[in-house]
Amino acid sequence: MKDSGDFLHFESKQHGSSFFLYYFKTLVHETPLNEHILRYLSREPLTSLKEVKDKIPITGIIITEDLKTICEKVMTGYVIVRLHDNSVECALIPCQVKKARSVSQPEVEFTVVGSKEAFVESLDTNIHLVRKRLPVHELKAFELTLGKLTNTKVVVMYLDGVANEENVNTVKQRLKDIHVDQVVDSSVIMQLISDNRNSPFPQLVDTERPDRVVSVLCEGKVVILSDGSPQALIGPTTLVEFFSAFEDYFVNWIVASTSRLIRLFAVLFSILVTPIYVATLTYHYELIPSDLLSTLVSSRQRIPLPPILEAIFLELSIELLREAGARLPTKVGQTIGIVGGIVIGTASVEAGLTSNVLLIIVALSALASFTTPVYRMSNTIRLTRFPFLIFAHLWGLLGITICFSFLIVHLLKLKSLGRPFLEPIYPLRVQDLKDAIIRLPLSFQSTRPIQLQTEDTRRFNRRTQKEKNDFHE
Amino acid sequence: MSGPVVKDQYKVSPFLVFYLVHSVQVGVGVMGFQRISASTAGNDAWISVFGAGLSLHIIIFLIYKILNKEKGDIISLHKNLFGKWIGGLLSWIVIVYFVAMSITVLRTYIEVIQVWMFPDLNKWLFGGVFLLLTYYCLSGGFRVVAGISFFGVVLPFYLVLTMLFPVFYGHFQDLLPIFNHSVKEIYEGVKGASLSFLGFTTLFLYYPFIKEPEKSHRWAQGGHLLTTIMYTVLMIVTIAYFSTAQLEKTIWATLTTWKIAEMPFVQRFEYIGIASWALVILPNLCITVWAGGRGIRRLLKVSQKSVTIPLLFLILVLSSLFAKRENIDLLNEYTSKVGFYFVYIYVPLLFVIQYVKSKVVKAK
Repeated sequence: MKDSGDFLHFESKQHGSSFFLYYFKTLVHETPLNEHILRYLSREPLTSLKEVKDKIPITGIIITEDLKTICEKVMTGYVIVRLHDNSVECALIPCQVKKARSVSQPEVEFTVVGSKEAFVESLDTNIHLVRKRLPVHELKAFELTLGKLTNTKVVVMYLDGVANEENVNTVKQRLKDIHVDQVVDSSVIMQLISDNRNSPFPQLVDTERPDRVVSVLCEGKVVILSDGSPQALIGPTTLVEFFSAFEDYFVNWIVASTSRLIRLFAVLFSILVTPIYVATLTYHYELIPSDLLSTLVSSRQRIPLPPILEAIFLELSIELLREAGARLPTKVGQTIGIVGGIVIGTASVEAGLTSNVLLIIVALSALASFTTPVYRMSNTIRLTRFPFLIFAHLWGLLGITICFSFLIVHLLKLKSLGRPFLEPIYPLRVQDLKDAIIRLPLSFQSTRPIQLQTEDTRRFNRRTQKEKNDFHE
Repeated sequence: MSGPVVKDQYKVSPFLVFYLVHSVQVGVGVMGFQRISASTAGNDAWISVFGAGLSLHIIIFLIYKILNKEKGDIISLHKNLFGKWIGGLLSWIVIVYFVAMSITVLRTYIEVIQVWMFPDLNKWLFGGVFLLLTYYCLSGGFRVVAGISFFGVVLPFYLVLTMLFPVFYGHFQDLLPIFNHSVKEIYEGVKGASLSFLGFTTLFLYYPFIKEPEKSHRWAQGGHLLTTIMYTVLMIVTIAYFSTAQLEKTIWATLTTWKIAEMPFVQRFEYIGIASWALVILPNLCITVWAGGRGIRRLLKVSQKSVTIPLLFLILVLSSLFAKRENIDLLNEYTSKVGFYFVYIYVPLLFVIQYVKSKVVKAK
């Protein structure tokens, strides 16, 4: 350790007695070190480490001889105090520096109404954000350390007596089974504990909103927070949860249901429209009524490419734009969007490489894929379009159905923490449909989702919440 | 009375039997069952279809009586009733029947595609991909099979609406006079209609996979009732739409009626219909292949995976061997016949034998 430039060790001699201090200057907070530790240590002569522990007004002082603990603790910002140069016994005084970004607005899951707080990289702050919203003692936070090198603190949060014990144990067990050297973000954990790691579909929701975390905790789900990551993982989840924005709970149920249906439509549109274009124009001209067909044909008149190449060319250029936009700083990204979207689009139509009908379709379906509230899911949706395109080229509409069947079977096989992923559609649970494709009024949400198999199924008494349903006199 | 033990986590809820029964019945049969019934029963064919449906309610009732007593599947039933060797042989016949059914389904569907959509479809490639899909589904276990049959009913259900199109062009006076055919002719029609109802006998194998199987009885009846109503309505509409002479020449009457469906953005609806039909065929194939594989697994005590892969290859090769229209018709006819006797004669026989045997055992 003495090789590191930021490792300090010195001897202090006062009042005839001496002590040794060792610490990492970059890990230790200067103010408490000077104000508390050094002040007390130098005030009067020290005889034993026990005395150190009693006198210094900091909690969590450890006296130990174990070298391993000492090494571990000094790496997390403890100060080592020794009285004699040759004794192994040390006092470890916690004095960590806590540098973190302050709580800021959510950027990915921004909502117009509702809380503007988002998680940050500090685990303690994140737990604080959750706890202050859920001040009950049933809220448990099980802590463990993951990653051989990174020693990341990970916390599993759940409501005791509500969350299913099996779910909690599954999460704990899967976390314990992780044996990798680095856990730099909760996304790493997500990939490592997923039920099917070879699926492009995310099987846990990640969120940066503490209010969403609190809301799912109340439903009985399990939340995983990881130090250094502003994203919390939520499980078990279902496919429909990926298409529900948290804002849906802030607006009237009719508005919320409509936007959910629009999102669902957007997903289907985004996946299917370009393949259907390819399928009909490659094989099934007859399908299109003659008026519409003439529009299509005139737009495709000068195009030398078959529909599939035309479609792949455009889809790829949209993907390129997105990828370039994502990798560049915000301001340059906007320019790329304008240059790419407008210039390349019109130029390729004028050059006769693509038809303008397809350009509209591809642009719309790209737009539609961005309506998905969870970023990971929208990536997956854009990806699924490509196998559909290939099948559409192979067997037209029939190919699309077959690819769709593959998708359904895949989704049927998926599980999230051992719970079926397609619930409440399959297995069909009518009661859970209250908050799936549409969202019914809050007074209808009196029971917790069956999928979670919660220990306490009732959220509140529906009768007391119910409005009186009678005519005004 | 020792049935196979199925772990709780692999079982499905009783109401899914509704979809399992319905989805295995509605398959290739519905595309052209009208001609076969109408060839003998004429404009009374709808009575034949309705009669076939009603009589099968009783058969389903018998199947449940048998299985509720047995608390197992047909393999253990055969073994208990007829001993290891004869029972085993009978089980093999049942398995061969299920496999033959899956071949019929796949081959007929490929034929429909070849005739209506892609005349030069590569049937090896298409069959291969379709069976790969089946394998992918089967590898998820019975839970996924039940799931796909659920989606195979719910998603293409909009096609029922397309039955309405011919209503506007139909002549319902064609149905009159009712009962102008002899009972024998109507009975022949029942026989012809039975292929499109078959397949629910797979219940004999997936019965142990149902949670509280006794409760699933009404769901099975419900699924079958839906099929009966659907077929009868379809038959009535078809008789109204086609003339008898025309119907005799129309192999796929349902598909032909799709041709007149017209919407502002879609002409030639049959392309969409046939493409969506893949979602109806898939559960059909999945359930029958699953039943075949499950039966072999139970008999030979090997893993279902090692059975299913050769079985799928066999289905691919055999279904591709039937190339001509006459052969396919023959295949359909034989499967239909075997199925007819299986359902109407063998099932009641099994019921009687089981009943007698249980009395004898009790008397001892």
